[in-house]
Amino acid sequence: MTINKRTTWHRLLFAVLMAGLVSSCTTEIDINSENQNVPIVYCVLNSADSFQYVRLQKTYLVDSKAGETPPDQDSVYFSGEIVVNIERLSEGQVVETHRFYPTTEIPKDSGFFPSEKNILYRAKMTIVPNSVYRLYIYLGSKEKVLYSEATTLSALKVLNPLPLKQRKISLYDGTNYICQWEPVTNAGIYQVAVRFKYKETAGGVTKTKFIDWPQALASQNAGSDYLSSSISGARFMHILDENLAVEAGVVRQVIGLDFYIVSGSIEMSYYIQSTSPTEGALMEKPVYNNITNGLGLFATESRVNIPDLILSPVTIDSIAYGQYTKNLGFLDHNNDRDSTNSY
Amino acid sequence: MKRFSILAILAGLVFLVSCDPEVIPVDTGGDGTSKVLGTLEIEFRVPSSILPPYRVLRADLSVAKDAESLYKGKFLQMANVYNSQMTYTFNLAPGTYYYQAGIICIAQGDSCTAASFPGGTYGMKWAIGTAEVKQDKTTHVIPQFTK
Repeated sequence: MTINKRTTWHRLLFAVLMAGLVSSCTTEIDINSENQNVPIVYCVLNSADSFQYVRLQKTYLVDSKAGETPPDQDSVYFSGEIVVNIERLSEGQVVETHRFYPTTEIPKDSGFFPSEKNILYRAKMTIVPNSVYRLYIYLGSKEKVLYSEATTLSALKVLNPLPLKQRKISLYDGTNYICQWEPVTNAGIYQVAVRFKYKETAGGVTKTKFIDWPQALASQNAGSDYLSSSISGARFMHILDENLAVEAGVVRQVIGLDFYIVSGSIEMSYYIQSTSPTEGALMEKPVYNNITNGLGLFATESRVNIPDLILSPVTIDSIAYGQYTKNLGFLDHNNDRDSTNSY
Repeated sequence: MKRFSILAILAGLVFLVSCDPEVIPVDTGGDGTSKVLGTLEIEFRVPSSILPPYRVLRADLSVAKDAESLYKGKFLQMANVYNSQMTYTFNLAPGTYYYQAGIICIAQGDSCTAASFPGGTYGMKWAIGTAEVKQDKTTHVIPQFTK
């Protein structure tokens, strides 16, 4: 009798538990948790500039309602007290402190996020090479301090091209240009960009225009005396063909080239690697982050501009009469369009 | 066994036929015509001078079909010259060519004038010569600069 009573009691308890378990199951799953408003910081100290900038925003949760109501200014920027400081350290001691103040001087491209006010933080400060800099940000609204450290680069010394107008640059099919520079201390990545400048006359109006042509990223090789990037002459002709429209009545005249060589710190190298397209089986990589208590990047760069380089007459004539560019309306090195000059 | 062998041969034939031998052409930027060329190799030495190293640099190395073209600046090819490279090669159709090599003085003050560079700083000296390019051969020349 006692055994029967106990069995019945157990069965009842089991049924109640199962009923509770089944009723608690739901097919509705909330994919997005609540937005944590995580701070996102980007700052690249540029030794070639006298002003430095810090970008501070917060994460934005994109859900199904986001398409109906685009984000407003408050949903991407923090309110309340914000203190942005960058300190320079020497032998572990702070020797300089720079306070950054909000500015909206740099416009933001229009898009999904608000672009009326692009709030950045700016300070006038000259970067000392091979020094440790520390970024501190205090967010009053979150009672949080963000922190990061980066080492600045040594000066970038370019071997080629030299700023010599007499040394003209040849870039045509079969002739490449080798850009060379010395390795930079603390750098992890380099990039050369070429700006092709030309005049365009249409309807009696002449405008100066340019085409930017970034080259592939280059890495630092241990032990090398210099680094180099080869700029393809054949590719240069294709770049002009791809970027300029054939228009009747338009006359173009070559001005020359500017070279930009940028070196980035090791942090920037890691960040670029982590955000570059994935190859192989690992389809998702975590994005590099060196901001404590937040997300983003604090890195340094050094850049050199070698402006107003002159293209060789052979290059200018190749642009004027070459098979890919002959219809673009460029004048030859004599400012002529002599059809007997064919390449 | 015989049936199996025939089947294997047929399968092999199908496999071979299905291999597409078409090669996707790569645009190398050339005009598509093959030319028989020779090589002109120019050993571009920077002559020694009273100036410290790297005050006299290579500035120009151009090749023209004849003297008039060279004079008028209508070159066939112009090399990119570098401080670190001494030998430059040009692939050309067989024939006689004129070349010019230019060096530039970048020293400050009156050093360039003292080293007999006309015009002082950024003054240039030129060496002009001819070279015979022969089919499938390399012609080696060394431009000679006057003191």
